Amino acid sequence: MSPIMRFILRRVGFLFLTFIVFMLIIFALPRAIPGNPLSTLLSQLFQQAQANPELIKAVYKRLMDEFGVGKPVHIQFIDFISRTLRGDLGTSIAFYPRKVGEIVAAYLPWSLGLLIPATLTSWIIGNSLGALAGYKRKSAVDNLMLPVFLTLSQTPYYWLAMILLYVFAVNLGVFPIGGAYSSGRIPSLTFEFIADVLSHYILPFLSIVLSAMGGWAIGMRVMVIYELGADYINYADSLGLPDRKLLRYVFKNSMLPQITGLALSFGTILGGSLITELVFNYPGTGYLLFRAISTLDYPLIQGVFILLISTLLLANLIVDFVYAYIDPRIRTGYLGE
Amino acid sequence: MVSQLIRDLLRIKKFDLSVAIFSSILIIGLVGPIVYEVDPVKMIGPPEQPPSEKYPLGTDSYGRDLLAQLLHGIRNSIYIGLTAAAISLAIGVTIGALSGYRGGVADSSLMLITDVVYALPSIMLMMLIAAYLKERNPIFVALVIGVTSWPWVARAVRSQMLSLKSRDFIYMSRMAGLSDIKIIFEDLIPNMASYIFMAFVLLMSGAMIAEAGLSMIGLGVTRGVSLGIILYWAQLLESVRRGIWWWFIPPGACLVALATSLLLLSTALDEYFSPRLRGG
Repeated sequence: MSPIMRFILRRVGFLFLTFIVFMLIIFALPRAIPGNPLSTLLSQLFQQAQANPELIKAVYKRLMDEFGVGKPVHIQFIDFISRTLRGDLGTSIAFYPRKVGEIVAAYLPWSLGLLIPATLTSWIIGNSLGALAGYKRKSAVDNLMLPVFLTLSQTPYYWLAMILLYVFAVNLGVFPIGGAYSSGRIPSLTFEFIADVLSHYILPFLSIVLSAMGGWAIGMRVMVIYELGADYINYADSLGLPDRKLLRYVFKNSMLPQITGLALSFGTILGGSLITELVFNYPGTGYLLFRAISTLDYPLIQGVFILLISTLLLANLIVDFVYAYIDPRIRTGYLGE
Repeated sequence: MVSQLIRDLLRIKKFDLSVAIFSSILIIGLVGPIVYEVDPVKMIGPPEQPPSEKYPLGTDSYGRDLLAQLLHGIRNSIYIGLTAAAISLAIGVTIGALSGYRGGVADSSLMLITDVVYALPSIMLMMLIAAYLKERNPIFVALVIGVTSWPWVARAVRSQMLSLKSRDFIYMSRMAGLSDIKIIFEDLIPNMASYIFMAFVLLMSGAMIAEAGLSMIGLGVTRGVSLGIILYWAQLLESVRRGIWWWFIPPGACLVALATSLLLLSTALDEYFSPRLRGG
């Protein structure tokens, strides 16, 4: 087996294990927390049965069924996993009788459409600026950029979003004040509709890019400073290699940890962008999650998390592929993991 | 030795600046609520008043005093940050130290657990756990943040441990027949003190930001005020679209200042302790 294959297989195994552990957490939480939220929910529903007996009884029965109340725990867990793997995420309570999978599927594209471009853009800009600051360290450029990066990296996306929204949409009126497209418009592939979507997209996109950028820049700056002081650079420099060539070496070596970092920070960025959606009333999963939380719709909460985590683990796998392709140590089997 | 260390540190501008910012906000949070005796959750005046002499930071939609909320919010946010950081640190250092010192099966199984938790975004785990808690007091919130944020600390402590444990003084302790626990806690961990302190500082800033995030999605403390809770109320009642800037700007600015000062502090310590970053 080639070293690359071995690396990828090991990563697939690891990510699958992570997924199972995550499912175990999702499964155990409602059953383990004192006061058992599940039984509270069920008894609440039961008490409301007088108001609308038929509907509530149907919901109640469905919930009992889906949570496998009364069956042994290990059977419940196996049922849960196998249903999830078949794509059945259960039935929503607040949107009864709609299926959770179907509801989340309507919201997920908006979130991913915001998250993926914003993450990649912030990664590219942040790393380039960070490399520049590291290369010109202690210069005016570095002294100006570093405090900005430090502050941006600690600024919650949604707070920056609030400020951008206040300045550019509320005060200056340059951008719309929320949503993904103007109300009344019907989604279509016309130029007008796309332009409308873009004008709604810019502020949420900018809030994520700007605040995520800081962290990348700080990491890259430190990495470049370390690499510039490394023996191989001193040696290459003493041989009289041109600066451009040295910089290419430095950049390549500093890049690798940043690619691993990309996989690790998807989750954090996703968490932040979910809340940013709230600020803009953006119809993504963050907005859906907020509604699910405020109505205690546990099947929907679970479903949102299962789909988000699956997406993240998949993204991790893609980053692994890229990493295996770029890092020569994996190609030659020098590095085990 | 300690006074020499402090004298050296005080010479670093970043260190001075970060300590100054952090401690002034801390003091405001500690002393503020005692000096400014207004109930943060009681209606005390007309709603949505801009800052004035009577209401220094204005009032919210329920006519509650926003300065009082901010003072109590700072206090609670720092409290949650400190507690959560202490919990994470305890878990992370224990796992990392055991893993690095023992090696072998213990190491690989502990690191597997760490990697699995690391691969699951902590903010999502926090939301998931908090969603099932009906009553959330500050301790619960700190606990939820603490038990999900430790993996990177465990990894970092483990690698420090690996490089420390082959030093001569550890062999001496071992030859003297000291127990593993004793060696870990009396020889190894004190030698990582500066490193552990930096981890604590970073954990704390992360925890305060996490608290705000949890609050924003509707999973913050259920009673009392924190910086995140003020932002949550401001968001819920559309303060941004209605132009009530005095509601959402101060709590966010305090949060950013607190978190940035802590990051700056850890950067300053990092530069002090690793000469490659310090040099010209």
